[in-house]
Amino acid sequence: MSMHTPPRLFARLLALVVPRSTADEVLGDLHEEFVDLAATAGRQRARSWYAAQAIRLASRSMVHRVAAVVGPGPADPLAPNPGDSYMRSLASDVRRAGRTMFKRPAVSALVILTLGLGLGANATIFGGIDALILRPFTIPDLDRLVMVAETEPGTSADTQETVSPANYLDWKAQTDAFEHLAAFGWWDVNLAGQEEAERVAGFFVTANFFPAVGVAPSLGRTFMTDEEVRGNHRRAVLSHALWQRRFGGDRDILGKTVLLDTEPFEIVGVMPEGFGFPLGADVWAPLALDPKAAMRRDDRYLSVVGRLSPGRTIDDAKAQIALVAQRLEQQYPVTNKDRGARVVTMVQGMRDQGLGPMLSLWQASACLVLLIACANIANLLLARGAERQRELAVRAALGASRSRIVRELLVESVVLACAAIPLALGVAWVGIRLIRINLPPRLVRFVDGWTSMGVDERVFGFTVLLALATAIVFGLLPALRASRPALNESLKEGGRSASAGRQRQRLRKGLVIAEIALALPLLVASGMSTLGAHRFLNGPQGYEPDGLLTMRAVLPDAKYLQPEARRRFTDDVVARLSVLPGVRSVGLSNVLPSSNNNSSRAIEVEAVPTSDPANPPLVDNRLVGPAFLGTMQIPVLQGRNFSDADRADSLPVAIISKSAAERHFPGADPIGRKIRLGTDPWLTVVGVSGDYIQQWFNRRNAPTVYRPYAQAPSAYLAIGVRADGDLAALIPAARAAVREVDPAQPIFDVMPMRQALAEKTIGLQYIAAIMAVFGLLALVLAVVGVYSLMAFVITQRTHEIGVRIALGAKRGDVIRLTVGQSARMTAAGAILGLMLSAALSRGLETALFGIISSDVRISLGFAAILITAALAAGYVPARRATKIDPIIALRAE
Amino acid sequence: MPDRQKKAEREIYLGEFEQIVLLAILRLDQDAYAIPVREEIEARTGRRVARGALYTALERLEAKACLSSRMSEPLPERGGRSRRYYTVTPAGLAALRASRAALLALWKGVESRLERP
Repeated sequence: MSMHTPPRLFARLLALVVPRSTADEVLGDLHEEFVDLAATAGRQRARSWYAAQAIRLASRSMVHRVAAVVGPGPADPLAPNPGDSYMRSLASDVRRAGRTMFKRPAVSALVILTLGLGLGANATIFGGIDALILRPFTIPDLDRLVMVAETEPGTSADTQETVSPANYLDWKAQTDAFEHLAAFGWWDVNLAGQEEAERVAGFFVTANFFPAVGVAPSLGRTFMTDEEVRGNHRRAVLSHALWQRRFGGDRDILGKTVLLDTEPFEIVGVMPEGFGFPLGADVWAPLALDPKAAMRRDDRYLSVVGRLSPGRTIDDAKAQIALVAQRLEQQYPVTNKDRGARVVTMVQGMRDQGLGPMLSLWQASACLVLLIACANIANLLLARGAERQRELAVRAALGASRSRIVRELLVESVVLACAAIPLALGVAWVGIRLIRINLPPRLVRFVDGWTSMGVDERVFGFTVLLALATAIVFGLLPALRASRPALNESLKEGGRSASAGRQRQRLRKGLVIAEIALALPLLVASGMSTLGAHRFLNGPQGYEPDGLLTMRAVLPDAKYLQPEARRRFTDDVVARLSVLPGVRSVGLSNVLPSSNNNSSRAIEVEAVPTSDPANPPLVDNRLVGPAFLGTMQIPVLQGRNFSDADRADSLPVAIISKSAAERHFPGADPIGRKIRLGTDPWLTVVGVSGDYIQQWFNRRNAPTVYRPYAQAPSAYLAIGVRADGDLAALIPAARAAVREVDPAQPIFDVMPMRQALAEKTIGLQYIAAIMAVFGLLALVLAVVGVYSLMAFVITQRTHEIGVRIALGAKRGDVIRLTVGQSARMTAAGAILGLMLSAALSRGLETALFGIISSDVRISLGFAAILITAALAAGYVPARRATKIDPIIALRAE
Repeated sequence: MPDRQKKAEREIYLGEFEQIVLLAILRLDQDAYAIPVREEIEARTGRRVARGALYTALERLEAKACLSSRMSEPLPERGGRSRRYYTVTPAGLAALRASRAALLALWKGVESRLERP
């Protein structure tokens, strides 16, 4: 099917450029040849062939269109055919542009280098956006897939609420816009087998899930409708990766059983290689709702994906779902009041919330870098235009029309831009590689499309288009300027024109001011994110992350439903871990900082009525062993710590964090008071602990309640081991210790706390690193801009400076004169830049959930750096000016 | 041939490539759309023809009334797009004839000199 479809991007590009009257002919011919070529030479070859042809035809067509707008060149009486002559003269323009380029190799190289970096930065980010946002899934007919989510009052338009089973079933029954409407729920499981037990990513799915996403198994089958019934649901479909990893690609695996959370599941199918929807799933099992669970409307844990019926659009689906949701709201006011439903495309629905803003931020920054680069190049070309003033004036005097000269200069720009494309693609290749290899392999599954990031034909097409657009941006101004020569002035002896020159200089100064004004916000943004990332990683966390090994486990209900069984398991594991060499203490909890899970509960304080019973305040709920606070080095500020004396049958107690004490016992002593979590028994507060950072992005100093694990044994375990020496070397021994207690019980996320922190803040580190590169690029470009302008201005003023020196001006006077000029320019740019920075940092603060705080000192600091660098760049040519020998300068006439 | 008609024919000047395109279309008869035209030219002359150049020439020849074209039904193998079939018009034939006559007249008497080693 896709065998016969040419690369869509290029087809669209071509359709855009080719006149409508010939679109059918040109695109159809190309399509026909593509199909033939795909059959003989293979799909990949055919695709790149198509891309190359489309680009050639498109650029040809573009030239035609530009030509039609600019109008025909000067009539050549010898040319029998004006059209032909136009193409021929354009070709000669291109050749001439090539010659000009080689005549000034230094300037051309500078332009190409600048442009290559600017275009390359944009191509890199586009590669990311394309792979991660535009087409993150290798699923056929992706545009027919939608996701349906519940909405809740007061949540932003982006939040995707999960769905209750009863609502899902009603949506499914009462709409016909969907060919399939499927549901899935998160189900990470313990997989036990011959080898070490393992925690794998699993999902419960309805039987129509696989037909909905449109992917068939490569082996066996997927699920039947009658397997959505409890008791008949113990079937599993494996991912290709898991099948290879755990079962050695055994082709006779169908019908065998696998132990998932200690229950036997029959393997009925294996999915094709590369399929791991959603979120890199490794195993799928039928979603079996018992009649009671199917009635629930207040328990929301499903995600819903649908395939649109043929001929139906997403708008039909939206209208139908909105209608059903409205009906349900009236029918079930208790659970569905104010709850609507939203239909979004699958790509939107599965998108990581933080990814979009982050990539847009980068693309915007890359665009700024390119703009600065454009300003720089425009400046260089303006300078060259000034040098060629006489040449152009002579040609204009001989009858060359203005459009003719503009065209010629624009062709020069385009040729320069095209010459920069290979460099830009090289930069993008390196950039994307650097981005790819720096993501920890563990996290790759969470970023859909990560592995398909690379320089492909789409990145290529993007770069070409951007290069052409850029050529217009940086070439048009100098071309228009150069083509309007003050004929008399330029042709006059000496050609040191007054008015045109001054105007030109004002333009060039404006460009440099713009460069500085654009560079400063980029610098400030990069400084803010670098400092933010540094603070996250190395700032105080409220506990001691160094020398701490972490691990997690989830005890399956089938084996560990009884509190006594959980206590026995944890006691045993803690005891065995404690005696490992180098281990100083072992802290048991249900949740550790920087992990992906959390547990929170509604809190009630005795004798204090809750203000809004429907929305009670929440606290983080931590069930910890007696050594936990000590192991983490979280201080006990008041009262006492837990001890072995806090047992299942002793007084139920709690320690609350400082923030919880301030929030729920403002101005009062919490020790001895009673609190309750949900409907659990009342707890007596015995201590107040320090706050710590659970998660940088949204859980800093969250109010927390600690309870002794013995009094509330959880199935979720998170263990911190404080040890001396190499933590990595401790990992095998720690795994073995758990295996000795229960060989079927896997532990996961086994890593030093520092690593967990680094992974948790990986997004911010990426932001910081990429912004730092952009900031540096912007700084360098701006400084180069100031330098080249000042060098040019001083060359132009050689005569004047010579006269001044001859009349007795001192070195200091000359430097003051020239540096003063660049200082005024820089100051103007910096003031504009500071204003832009203020706006940008406010945007950054919202985009990054307030983890980055704007700081006037950062802005001023970078303004100072920029101004210093710019002044230095202006000083170098100024010093040269002081060495001007008045006699030589005056003789240079 | 009356004088006035002769003059009208001469007014349509055909470049070399235009002659080649017209001849290829004549050879293909009913089957002439851009792909076979290009293949025919490449096979007969051994020259590579840029697609863009061919489309430009076809468009220009149609503008000069040397060619007429009609669109086919949309075809699935073309992604649902139509083919444009070309036919040489009487004016096109006349122009070809004039070009041929002009070239032959010039060739007369120089063949022997070209054959010298």
